Amino acid sequence: MKNKGFSRKQLAVPYVIFMILFVVLPLLVVFYYAFTDASGNVSFTNFLRFFQSGKTVGTLVYSMIIALLTTIVCLLLAYPVAFILAKGSYCKKHSFLMFFVLPMWINFTLRITALKEILTLIEGNLAYHQFFNGVLCMVYDFLPFMIMPLFNSLTKLDNSMIEAAHDLGANKVQVFFKVVLPLSIPGIISGVTMVFLPSMTNYVVLDMVYNSTYIMGSLIGSYFSAYDWHNGSVISIILLIMIFAITMISNRFTEGNQEKKVSLY
Amino acid sequence: MKIKSRNFLVRLILFCIPVFMLFGCSDDSDKDVIVLRVSNWEEYIDEGEWDPEEDMIELADGTVICPETSMIEDFENWFYETYGRKVKVEYSTFGTNEELYNQMSMGDTYDLVCPSEYMIMKLIAEDMLVPFSEGFYDETVETNYYAKGVSPYIKDVYDELSINGHVLSEYAAGYMWGTLGIVYNPEIVSEEEASHWNLLLMDKYNRRVTIKDSVRDAYFAGNSIYNEALISSEAFLNSDTYKTDLDAILNATDKKTIDAVEDILSDIKENVYSFETDSGKADMVTGKVVANQQWSGDAVYTLDQAEEDGVILCYSAPEEATNLWFDGWCMIKSGIEGDADKQLAAEAFINFVSRPDNAVRNMYYIGYTSVISGGEDTTMFDYLDYCYGWDEESAAEEGIDTVEYSVGYFFTGDFLDEQDEETIEKYTILTSEDQTRRQLFAQYPTEEVMKRSVVMEYFDKTENERINQMWLNVRCFDLYKFLGFD
Repeated sequence: MKNKGFSRKQLAVPYVIFMILFVVLPLLVVFYYAFTDASGNVSFTNFLRFFQSGKTVGTLVYSMIIALLTTIVCLLLAYPVAFILAKGSYCKKHSFLMFFVLPMWINFTLRITALKEILTLIEGNLAYHQFFNGVLCMVYDFLPFMIMPLFNSLTKLDNSMIEAAHDLGANKVQVFFKVVLPLSIPGIISGVTMVFLPSMTNYVVLDMVYNSTYIMGSLIGSYFSAYDWHNGSVISIILLIMIFAITMISNRFTEGNQEKKVSLY
Repeated sequence: MKIKSRNFLVRLILFCIPVFMLFGCSDDSDKDVIVLRVSNWEEYIDEGEWDPEEDMIELADGTVICPETSMIEDFENWFYETYGRKVKVEYSTFGTNEELYNQMSMGDTYDLVCPSEYMIMKLIAEDMLVPFSEGFYDETVETNYYAKGVSPYIKDVYDELSINGHVLSEYAAGYMWGTLGIVYNPEIVSEEEASHWNLLLMDKYNRRVTIKDSVRDAYFAGNSIYNEALISSEAFLNSDTYKTDLDAILNATDKKTIDAVEDILSDIKENVYSFETDSGKADMVTGKVVANQQWSGDAVYTLDQAEEDGVILCYSAPEEATNLWFDGWCMIKSGIEGDADKQLAAEAFINFVSRPDNAVRNMYYIGYTSVISGGEDTTMFDYLDYCYGWDEESAAEEGIDTVEYSVGYFFTGDFLDEQDEETIEKYTILTSEDQTRRQLFAQYPTEEVMKRSVVMEYFDKTENERINQMWLNVRCFDLYKFLGFD
């Protein structure tokens, strides 16, 4: 009788099939191309070539600079907003949050096009401020992805802890740095991962604001359009390794934080 | 329990795989219908639904063109009427030649595709094309509209261009053609400035010009600037081997040239507003940029759009040299697979779009210039006259300066000095003076432009790698230079 309906595991079947067909198989193809040369022999020359050329390493560095700046600016802008929203009165905060998430519902190319016109009015010629505009539009695009996780972790923060810190003589600054910030680290970490990695490859935004210097995403596109699957795949693998590394580090952070949490009680 | 659920999973996957496979081949079930898989550029064929009030074309001989249905639909009907067989066209589009090639190498099969000249050469070199059947160029057959109507000038180009001992005409039939030039705003940029590629480098227009985000187009402009002094010199221009030398110089891919072009393009990168793929047209109209590198067909579109907004723009084909490009239909081996019916349908499709009235439809719809001149049929010339011609009286009434403009080379294949007087007169139209710099000039450039036009050929694998590396060098962030050690 028990087994008549779907078991829990069976409910996962559609997702597993989807994953195998569209994530695992393509990844295997990427791995195949990354570790072979044009004649199909296994080789690491593609990787060596990437790290030997000042241009490709330069692109990696340039993408990281853009991504890092985007993440920092997003964090600085999003944290106060998330804090105010999270600590606001319960009925108001969700409707306010809507205002910040609302832009996500509009297609980003449309938003960037609008922003471009505004920037043209302010700056005159966009091409003189390619780098600034690139980072600005990235921030604009990714800001909601930073606000959401911060908001979530700050809402969960127990108000009594802040009160306790006050009672024990901490001033506002101390409360923030000793209590609020450490407890919101999981939110910061997940916000950073959601902003940093996509902004390394989102070349459409940069293209739209006429930044003519390649980032990792455009480099992959450029290799692929020259029928060079091997070097394009290498870059995907390098990005994959970075994602992996960042997730590992962030996991350690959150774990460490949870231990602290335990010791707090 | 564990084993059971795994069984269920395996069964489900096994069930799904044939279902997915079925999706791929469900079309072949109907044996009587010939399925023709066509892949063409985006927005590169008439889709019908013309507005009778705005779009209707009435030519001098009384021909009225105002289709309601798309070219594809009309072809299917025409094929049924002509051959008594049903054909179903599966039409898809691509954005760049490389995209088309990649699609094909990833396993997409097409029967008929329309890439540019260098891609056609690559496909011939890789033995991926089917040659036309023997009767394709037989002008006595009523329905061989391509053989009867193709411009002798373009036909010559197709007959001369060869790779591995095969000329292009064996495998490809032209569709559209044009030049590579500069669209400019005459209120800000002078005609003289716009007739040199080094406009892209001029300080005066710093960050107000754009260049195409395409290796080949950028390379052509860069190479013309690099060789500017040589190819504009009197001695070179008057040399007997001018045309072959020019071809060789602008197709050069030696290290010295590539390095020099890299430096020029790096400077251009610092001077242009953007490397654009599509934004250039809009940015010209809004005035963000004052000049941009453009293909002639897109130039016509830009000029038309700007005109609607009350902005007058012009087109120039730089004096050093212009890139003569063309897109052509060719049949793919892996698609046709020796199927005579498919080949018949593919060749019929080429002929149908080459019928002069259909060529006019496509030209009006997409702005590019058809390779069809019509042969005996005068529709093409009438259309040209309909678009740009003036008679002296009405021009005088409107106060418009007129000039004579000859396009005889396109219709006869001979330059003016080889034509007799009757022919010259026949193919010379009276047009408004500004059209010699505008749409007419973009659609049908003058003889002088054609004399200094160069077909940019297919680069083989090593050349391609070098040029792509050059492009990456231009576009990537230079870490070593940034850190100070060169």
